[in-house]
Amino acid sequence: MDIIGFYPTFYMPWIGSAWVMGIIGVIHVVASHTSVGASFLFALLETKAYRENKPELMDFIKRYGKFLLVFSYIVGSVTGVGIWYAITIASPRGTAGLIHSFVWVWAAEWVYFTVEVIGVYALVYLIGKIDARTHLKLTWAFALASWATMLLIVGIISFMMWPGNDAWYQTGSTNDAFYNINFFAHLGVRTGSMLVMAAIVGLMVVAGMKDKPEALRKSVVRTITPMGLIGGAVAVIMFFYYLQTLPHNALVMLDSHLLPRYAWGMIAVVAVTVAYLVFAWCRPLWVTTWVAVPLFLFIGIVGVWPEERMRESMRKPYVAGQYIYGNQVIARDVPGKGIQGEVDVIAEKGLLKLHPFIPDRLRTVTPENQIEVGRVLAKISCANCHALEPGAPLRNIPDKFYGSTDKDLIAAFINGPLKHGAVTYMPRIDLPAEEVEAIAAFLADANARRAAGPPPSTVSAQAGVKQE
Amino acid sequence: MDIGTVLHAMRDPAGIPSHPVIFQVLMIVTWIFHIAFVHMTLGTAAFAIYAFYKRAPGTHWEQLSMAMTKAAKVGVSLLIVLGVAPLLFTQVIYDPQWYTASVLSARWLIAFIFTLIIGYCSWFVFYYSNHEGAKKRLGVFALVGLGLFLLDGLIMHVLAYQSLLPDQWMNWYAPGGVVDSRGATLHAIQWPRYLFIISLSLPALGLYLMAYADYFRGRPDRAPEYLALARSLGHRLAVRGLVISFVLLLAWQFVHPASTRLSWHPMGWALGASLLALAWWVQRRGLQVHGYLPMLAGLGVLGVLAVWRELIRIRYMLPFGYDITDYTVHADWPSMVLFFSTFIGVGGLVGGFFLTTIYRAGRVQGLYTAERGVARLGTAAVAVLGVWITVFFAYGITIWMRNAFTL
Repeated sequence: MDIIGFYPTFYMPWIGSAWVMGIIGVIHVVASHTSVGASFLFALLETKAYRENKPELMDFIKRYGKFLLVFSYIVGSVTGVGIWYAITIASPRGTAGLIHSFVWVWAAEWVYFTVEVIGVYALVYLIGKIDARTHLKLTWAFALASWATMLLIVGIISFMMWPGNDAWYQTGSTNDAFYNINFFAHLGVRTGSMLVMAAIVGLMVVAGMKDKPEALRKSVVRTITPMGLIGGAVAVIMFFYYLQTLPHNALVMLDSHLLPRYAWGMIAVVAVTVAYLVFAWCRPLWVTTWVAVPLFLFIGIVGVWPEERMRESMRKPYVAGQYIYGNQVIARDVPGKGIQGEVDVIAEKGLLKLHPFIPDRLRTVTPENQIEVGRVLAKISCANCHALEPGAPLRNIPDKFYGSTDKDLIAAFINGPLKHGAVTYMPRIDLPAEEVEAIAAFLADANARRAAGPPPSTVSAQAGVKQE
Repeated sequence: MDIGTVLHAMRDPAGIPSHPVIFQVLMIVTWIFHIAFVHMTLGTAAFAIYAFYKRAPGTHWEQLSMAMTKAAKVGVSLLIVLGVAPLLFTQVIYDPQWYTASVLSARWLIAFIFTLIIGYCSWFVFYYSNHEGAKKRLGVFALVGLGLFLLDGLIMHVLAYQSLLPDQWMNWYAPGGVVDSRGATLHAIQWPRYLFIISLSLPALGLYLMAYADYFRGRPDRAPEYLALARSLGHRLAVRGLVISFVLLLAWQFVHPASTRLSWHPMGWALGASLLALAWWVQRRGLQVHGYLPMLAGLGVLGVLAVWRELIRIRYMLPFGYDITDYTVHADWPSMVLFFSTFIGVGGLVGGFFLTTIYRAGRVQGLYTAERGVARLGTAAVAVLGVWITVFFAYGITIWMRNAFTL
């Protein structure tokens, strides 16, 4: 192996590409879960309207549907593409790995997605324009198609965590990858959550229907809140099951870093959500815009951001199937696909020799270019998960070394725990001596600049601009 | 390093799950529908703005502006969703090209997302405010929306064009040997190609208006004069637009590097011929034939364009020895069956039900009651989804348990 198929590196100073992905992802998750959940609310409400001859319930569906058109089918669908783009630039090899294993699954999801987009227009704009029975069929078809998009995407994102057994590595079969160990648990969490989100957004829509009769608002609130509560219960139960299906590295990450930071927030979100839904059921007419919008924002942001961040973080050091590291290096062999691990060959030959996008003047380390080479290598090896500027918010590496300017200390960490893969949530990074020294020199220099100059953030920001 | 060798190394080591030509064909076919909605959207959006500023209260221009605003609104949704498939299939067989082009202009790729959201929301604001007697200043929302859509088209064009130039990648990534990982630049624009493809929005608008006029012909609430105006405008716009596009195609034909020998490739000229043939036919027979036929013929022209676009890519890749047919295949039949059965079963029955209902209901003033056939199609749509989900779970549980118990 004389070349490894690495791509150029995209690096976003300070926040890294991970946060770009996180921000887009959170918006998408809220919008898409609301959409899928709402489709079932629509189906159930419309069934009630049809059976009990309550056409006024369709007013709520129409209003909610119009809101969804903007919220889920503009913001949601564009950010869905956005996640794809964000992971493309952050982890091109990881994305390629997923695409090449799951292209037909994604293509099937695309069929559903297309049907869903046509369906939402039909559902909203044909209310009152086609006979009630046909519309009811349309709404149920829309709900089932919406859920099918979730069924298909959850298999892929569950695989990103891990297959959970050796089958896929040996067969390479999409079946074994898709129906992985945490698929059903993950599906349960998301299915429950979608009902919660749909109920929360539904309450916001009801709050905006002041012009409608009180009886209608009461009826709607008392139909959707139990669904939200049941969905919440399912989500919580399945979340505990989900935890049992996680790999060791995820549990270590969870216990050591994530739960201490996010546990209380998660408990608060669950408590507030339950209290809100119960309150709404008891006092449907007290659900005003001033109550519904802030609570939607609280539950959407405080609830979803940690959940998505945790799922991303727990997967580390991998980005897909426990065979591609976050730094795009293939971590292990996958005989079923003819894939070979790359860590050892990198250890032997070095990134500077194997990476196709290293300028020739940097392929050999010299005293003059050592820090520049170190910066390039740090971006390749570390920047998928870490910022490189001291003081930056995304787990910046200079701070991880407590501002140390001691090159030997930094090199010792790389040559010790990293080289041997001893940190469960970090990739095994085994590099030739001159590359380790270059990275160590760059990090030590970053800390030295901070120690020497004006406020750290200014120095690093200026350095970042110049260096970029 | 030899860039041809690098391109091969950058292919995903997992290989692909079916023969590459299947993905190539799907990529071409699905792109036709994507670009058709791009053209329809840009054309109707531009026309909605033109009519908005030209209208006087109660005139047909006002009605046309509102109708085209609505068409553009729906068009954006569909062009986005229909754009997913060709991009997906591109990433399967041209992954090195697409990913590298994306990383090299990464910030623009992210900007694409946010500008598309802003543009679309802005268009929605225009849609909600474009009613009888709407104030002219509201047109600014439409202008912002259309401007951002054109910018997004430019970003996509750049990524597609950068994909064709692998020998430039290193110069863009590390100019002067200094690595630039910001992804902040649009490195290569081929204006004739971009302008030609965008210009097709004009004939697309014309063809759409002709079909639109015939679609509503049976509706008593659409005045015959209004529909006649739409049809005659459509006729003129289609003919003139096709000629303009032909001129721009000529410009594009002669900017291909001589080494590619594309300037005199028969397919490029076949595209030109198809544009002129369609213009001639619409000019001669456009007012006599049903309005749907020219639109179908327009799709045929886009089919030629889609094939031409792919031939260009193949020719640009030749010097690097990049040939999709030598991509490693690890056949995965079950997932391929999943796609095609979903495409036929769900796409056909559920999509068919939705589209038929929308089509039929739109042609009726007042309440539409589904005929027996449509009602049965609706039942079949729900049933096929029930069957699909049942099979999905039954099959999945079997595999899951087999793997869990052999753990």
